[in-house]
Amino acid sequence: MRRRSLFKVAGIGALGATGIPVIAACSDIKSGEGTAQTTEGFDFLPTYKEYELPVQPDLVGEPPNHPSGFTSYPTPVDGVETAAEGGEYEVTVAMWGTPPAADDPYYEALSEAWGGTKIKLRHADGNTFAQTSVQWLQANEFGDAINMFGWMTDSHPNFQETVVNTFYDLTEVVKGDISDRWPLLAGEPTASWGQSVWSTDPADPETARVFGVPQNFSKGPGNGIFVRTDLLEAANLAMPTTVEEVLDVARAWSDGAAGKWAFLGLDYVTPEWFGLASSPGWAYIDGKLVHNSERPEYTEWLEFRRTCWDEGLIHPDTPTGTLDGHALHVAGTILMSQDGISWWGDFTNQVNTGTATGSIDPIGAIGAQGREPIRYVNKAAEGWTFFNKDLSEDQVKELLDVMNFCSAPYGTKEYELLNYGVEGTHFTYGDDGIPVYTEAGTATVQAPVNLKTASGQVEVFLTGDPDLVQRRFEYNASVKDFAEADPFKGLRVEGPADYKTAAQTLIDQQNDIAYGRAELSTIPDMVQTFLDSGGEAARELFTSAYNQAQGK
Amino acid sequence: MAAIQTSSPPATGRAADRPIIRRKRTFRQRLRHDWPLLLMSIPALAQLAVFFYWPSSWNIIAFMDYSPYNSFWENPFVGFAWFERLFSDPYFVPALLNTLKFAALNLAFLFPLSIALALIMHSVVSTKIRSVFQSIVYLPYFFSWVLVVTIFVQVLGADGLISNWLLGFGGERLDIMSDPSTFTFLAWLQWAWKDAGWGMIIFLAALASINPSLYEAAAVDGAGRWKRLWHITLPGIRPVIVLLLILHIGNILSVGFEQYQLQREAVGYQTTEVLDTFVYYRAIQTAQYSFGTAAGLFKGVIGLVLILVANNVAHRLGEQGIYQKS
Repeated sequence: MRRRSLFKVAGIGALGATGIPVIAACSDIKSGEGTAQTTEGFDFLPTYKEYELPVQPDLVGEPPNHPSGFTSYPTPVDGVETAAEGGEYEVTVAMWGTPPAADDPYYEALSEAWGGTKIKLRHADGNTFAQTSVQWLQANEFGDAINMFGWMTDSHPNFQETVVNTFYDLTEVVKGDISDRWPLLAGEPTASWGQSVWSTDPADPETARVFGVPQNFSKGPGNGIFVRTDLLEAANLAMPTTVEEVLDVARAWSDGAAGKWAFLGLDYVTPEWFGLASSPGWAYIDGKLVHNSERPEYTEWLEFRRTCWDEGLIHPDTPTGTLDGHALHVAGTILMSQDGISWWGDFTNQVNTGTATGSIDPIGAIGAQGREPIRYVNKAAEGWTFFNKDLSEDQVKELLDVMNFCSAPYGTKEYELLNYGVEGTHFTYGDDGIPVYTEAGTATVQAPVNLKTASGQVEVFLTGDPDLVQRRFEYNASVKDFAEADPFKGLRVEGPADYKTAAQTLIDQQNDIAYGRAELSTIPDMVQTFLDSGGEAARELFTSAYNQAQGK
Repeated sequence: MAAIQTSSPPATGRAADRPIIRRKRTFRQRLRHDWPLLLMSIPALAQLAVFFYWPSSWNIIAFMDYSPYNSFWENPFVGFAWFERLFSDPYFVPALLNTLKFAALNLAFLFPLSIALALIMHSVVSTKIRSVFQSIVYLPYFFSWVLVVTIFVQVLGADGLISNWLLGFGGERLDIMSDPSTFTFLAWLQWAWKDAGWGMIIFLAALASINPSLYEAAAVDGAGRWKRLWHITLPGIRPVIVLLLILHIGNILSVGFEQYQLQREAVGYQTTEVLDTFVYYRAIQTAQYSFGTAAGLFKGVIGLVLILVANNVAHRLGEQGIYQKS
């Protein structure tokens, strides 16, 4: 066949292929319209049965936003009898850092302790886990189970559809009284289980089912702006208590020529200083649901960020996104670092082990121009472990035995083994009786994620370094009254696809203003574009969700 | 000395007078004759079928409102709705223009750089210096873009090596890494460092195939270095230059993804949005796979047209191009 005729054939083929859709082109695009899912008021959840704590905390808070804490380490007792045996399972988990060896005695000890079931962890890079898991889940390539944090699902377009099509429907297994076989799972807050529910058809409440085992239900601040208090003291400066003071401190401390800058990132914590709503960024004001970008505070917030940039208070390479924020904070290049709440403990650990010096504390609840402050807090269970829908019921029950073991609270032998490893190998008791990781323990057990987050504990406490526990307890007490109220409580709202695209553009444009590439005067235009290209349509969805959440 | 045969062997009988008639062979005869060739091509065909033709056939989802959870035929056909959306998207045209800009710059300033590097390398006589230089020049090709961008920030960033060195002399910090107006130059620097050395290798191979006696003859005839370059070297590698140029042109809308995505926050989306990042942010992140496929198909069709045009132009200029008409 001549090549020219080959092209002719191909052309006809292509015409044929495109001909089908031309003929059938009569329907509109329907996918990606967004959903609002109820997460409470179900009658098929595990019946809550209080699990009696083996030891009581010495610092008693007001959970969940102000958790209780232990400043000493109680002698651990047996928490639960587990007889999980038979199977071998592969569980996908996120890992920040170097994955430990699969034959570490930690896994062997755990397997023995819960009865023999073998769990093989499939470590995936935590930095890209949220995005890459989208593809594995749709391709059913995640082993027998997957452990995911709630924030990761933000990267999953239409996560509801993924859940109901990919994961095991646990409803019939966990429904009703499960306290005989899984007392710890029965002792988890009902709200946690409610947040593990997805509907096959979100518009039809009858299709709601339980699809995941919830992780910890710890509320309270999930992130903050951490200040190097030792560097503040050395410069004769005080911890700022207003936004204006933050600017004053930043101006006094920053010295570009000497390689010292007050800030690195300022994007996700500072909106609270101006009273803006946390994600998804909608607030109910004057009888209407309003997006952050439509509010005058939004301009104030961007003005603040722009001022910090123009005055050289932000590390000049921040926009490149390639800097190691932790290293810069430890080195004292950066005074205030925006980070997850775990940075407080990680920094303190580094100081205790001699790899860092100094001390950090988060800025409290502060407001700009005398406004009533708000403090963002966690709103939901931290995440879930989902099981593959191809497992049998017996396999799922065996895995739930393991989950039950992993839910054991502070003060139990199960907790100690799971969180500190084997005594002598992974940890030793320090002078004050608190476990201290050995080098092997730091590498394997202290690693950011392993089975420690497989299933939520019946109650979450502040634990660890007594001084840090005390400081965190006091901090939580000082900000709990300013905790932001969730306007969509009891609902999980996922915006439409167009809205998500428009929101991404808005973030890009925000960055342009914050880093001096666009003027503040462009804000009205960019907000209008956002509203026209998806924001306004999303307002309808969020308004009906709000009305549902508020019982209107 | 053996006698040199100067004439053809004598014709035998009437056969030589008879015109040669090629009888068309039947399919069976051809199969019997060619089966080893066909057998040998099966693995390549299978590979193409599995990794190219089968995935390509899924381009049809560009005409559907596709969800991976529906069975294939349950996804409704929506005609050209996604293409309409693509062409009416206010961010599509800027992304396309950026793509064309980067592609044109790459073609104009990087392609000749690879040829120049190959020529320089070819003229180095010492094999030791040559292999060291060659390794240094093409090693960065194996670095990921993450590493390349990080190295650039560490060297050229506002808190980088050169900035701090300049500060020491009382100068100012550099602002190259986060200045949109210098991004095109920065992108060129990054390509030059990362890719030019790799591009050089094929030209080096082409240079090695030029018959050295041509140079000797030209030198004897009094041709200087530049004349030899102009009349022997460049014509010698011209078919390869044209071939690579056509392949480059076919790929013109694929300027890469990571380099632009990684520097998006640093210099802003207007400067770095190319078609591939457009697809990622506006289609993949929102799971609008049909939309992304429509954009991909658009790229593919443009690429095919460009290749055909470039090939045709090459033929008109007397070059072989990537394929010859039979």
